[in-house]
Amino acid sequence: MSSTEIALARPAAAAVETLSRRDRRLGKILLAPALAYIFVLVAIPFLLAVLLSLTNSSAGSLEFSFVGLQNFRSVLSSAVFLRALRNTFVFTLVSQGLVIVMGNILARALMKPFRGKLLVRFLILLPWAAPISLATLGWLWIFDSTFSVINWMLKVVGWLGPGEWYYWLGDPVLGMVAIIIVHVWRMLPFSTVILLAGLTSIPKEVHEAADIDGAGALAKAFQITLPMMLPILTVAVLFGVVFTFTDMSVVYLLTRGGPFNSTHVLASLAFQDGVLGGDVGRGASVAIFLVPLLVVMAVVMLRLSRRAEVV
Amino acid sequence: MHSRRQFIVKGAKLVAAGAAAAAAGPSVFVRGAAAADKTLKVLQWAHFVPAYDKWFDPWAKDWGSKRGVEVTVDHVGFADVVPRATAEVAAQSGHDVHMFIGLASAFEEHVVDLKDVAANLEKKYGKPVELAHRSTYNAFTRKQFALSDMWVPDPGNFHKKVWTDIGMPSGPSTYEDLVKAGPEIRKAAPQMQIPIGIGLSQDIDSNMAVRNILWCHGGSIQDKDGNVVLNSAETLKALEYAKRLYSVGMNQAVLSWNAASNNQAFNAQETAYILNSISAYRTAQDNKLPVLDNYFFTPALKGPTGIQLASEHVMSGYVVWKFSKSQDIAKEFLVALVDASRESMLASKLYNFPSFYGAAAEPNTPTAKRTDSGAAWIAKQCNADPFGSHPGDKLSLLSKALPWSTNLGYPGFANPAEGEIFDTYVITDMFAKAATGAMSPKDALAEANTRCKEIFAKWRKKNMVAGGSKDR
Repeated sequence: MSSTEIALARPAAAAVETLSRRDRRLGKILLAPALAYIFVLVAIPFLLAVLLSLTNSSAGSLEFSFVGLQNFRSVLSSAVFLRALRNTFVFTLVSQGLVIVMGNILARALMKPFRGKLLVRFLILLPWAAPISLATLGWLWIFDSTFSVINWMLKVVGWLGPGEWYYWLGDPVLGMVAIIIVHVWRMLPFSTVILLAGLTSIPKEVHEAADIDGAGALAKAFQITLPMMLPILTVAVLFGVVFTFTDMSVVYLLTRGGPFNSTHVLASLAFQDGVLGGDVGRGASVAIFLVPLLVVMAVVMLRLSRRAEVV
Repeated sequence: MHSRRQFIVKGAKLVAAGAAAAAAGPSVFVRGAAAADKTLKVLQWAHFVPAYDKWFDPWAKDWGSKRGVEVTVDHVGFADVVPRATAEVAAQSGHDVHMFIGLASAFEEHVVDLKDVAANLEKKYGKPVELAHRSTYNAFTRKQFALSDMWVPDPGNFHKKVWTDIGMPSGPSTYEDLVKAGPEIRKAAPQMQIPIGIGLSQDIDSNMAVRNILWCHGGSIQDKDGNVVLNSAETLKALEYAKRLYSVGMNQAVLSWNAASNNQAFNAQETAYILNSISAYRTAQDNKLPVLDNYFFTPALKGPTGIQLASEHVMSGYVVWKFSKSQDIAKEFLVALVDASRESMLASKLYNFPSFYGAAAEPNTPTAKRTDSGAAWIAKQCNADPFGSHPGDKLSLLSKALPWSTNLGYPGFANPAEGEIFDTYVITDMFAKAATGAMSPKDALAEANTRCKEIFAKWRKKNMVAGGSKDR
């Protein structure tokens, strides 16, 4: 390189460096609001919850003293907590299983052309857009122990005989069934949309090539569709699992944890103990109980999805 | 098209403008506040009789406008009263006056002592009803943490025709009557799904109902000195009674009872007996429901011990937060609210009963006779319901409800431990488990007793609850 070329290249290199520095600065500026948001509304409350779980803090007081792991010991010896822990897993695993299977079926159906497809898409998305409190009030009537429309219909078609009645919200098992039904109804649209996006992103050529190679429907599903959808499927499952593990709205609005605390999940029990009962320390210990598990789950699933990314 | 540089420059200008507006904000606010002179923010429940709110809101604003005070009233559903208080205490800001419909005792540390207000009112109107005093005063810390302007009786509501058909035209008078009636109602009115509609669920009405059963069998959570005495033969009898009643007169519907279930089931003629204030009856009147002609009331039922007690259905407890900057105005407001006890009772269609009977006295009555005068006025309203009952004296038993009504925490005072036990449904769950056979009465009692003792011990450590030496 001649000296003239070097002289010309220097300002150019400096300009590139300045631009790159500016880009980095701009990147920091643009990221700052999101980071501030996460720090203020996620990190601080989370750390506060950890701190409160180690104290005897109560709702009506700003003063507290540290009690070590006493709250955790106390909740672990509580039958209500153990039941809520079990319910949380049942609620999450069953509802997420149903959501993924049904979301897949719906997404595949929506990929096919048919008349009224737009209307069907709108109706499928409706539960996602409806405020959960309003929607659950509707479900509350549907499952009402005295006036359940499901029961009236079952009577009409002869499923329920004289004196037979399902007390949806008054029975521990039926109560959990009702909670899972409402949660699946609520989560299904999101899952369907995500899976639909995943399915439509698979290039047609891949399927055509598989057809030419003589692959059957099952082979295509397990060797093409599933692996190619794994990243997006992981995101859908991860979101659904974390959301369901930490959600209390359906339980609280439908059964309030009853009958006799048999349908609580950890989030609703934490609300009952910490906010309604005023025992903030105990409520916090219930609320953060699953955090380590959720963190491990999130890390594993994100790694899994990264490995499965199609380059 | 904008370049990135232009975008950033414009964005920076917008941010600068926003910052300037934010900086100017406080001075704008101060000017606004100065114009309004004084302010008072009141958090109030959404009353079970909606007509009351239509009276309360303009009344409060009118009271304020006469004194140069801008009064703001916000209503929340009854279930949000406690969570809202928790949030405001944590934020140390919000309303000046907060109304509780149960126990406010857990928030004692953050409220102003209203001893002076209570003393002034007592001087003016005589003593408040005992259950209001016991619900708003902590005898251990000697603090008047709340002030009650009203309480609500909780009678039995029975279906006249059905009970006449089974040979009890005046309805039940003892808890044993309910057990006898259960199978009879099933025969006489097979269309009714729940012969006896007493809730055993995690809700406010059930919470009161199970305490009634407990007290009338001689049991209680605490004694008068704050010792936990739930573990007793009397409690066991109450649980065994609940098991018998459930098997003959109830079904799982009562395990999912909510605050509206009483009203809905009785008004739809799906049950023949509920424990409720008159709000369900007023709903039936307003909507001219078919049940109306058969809608009648009974006093609290007697237990095998002869004890006849029912918890108040609602007990107002107004607190003034320590963080309030309008504490004096708030106290004046509470005095004015008690002064308006007659209007309050009429606006609520006789749902609210004054906590200071003297405040309902005829004008110019000597102080010593105010309580009696107020009681006479209350009885007059109940004996000839101005809101169109047939017969007119259908509600007359309400004026005699005081002797059989008591406070949460009976036979002691209300306290934070009783409040937490109430809000976490320890007693309803004990009854529900025993009644349905999910646990034996003995095991259900043992579980609940352990939890009650834990809760009491915690509040004793905070020096807010007495007792402990005679815990069982």
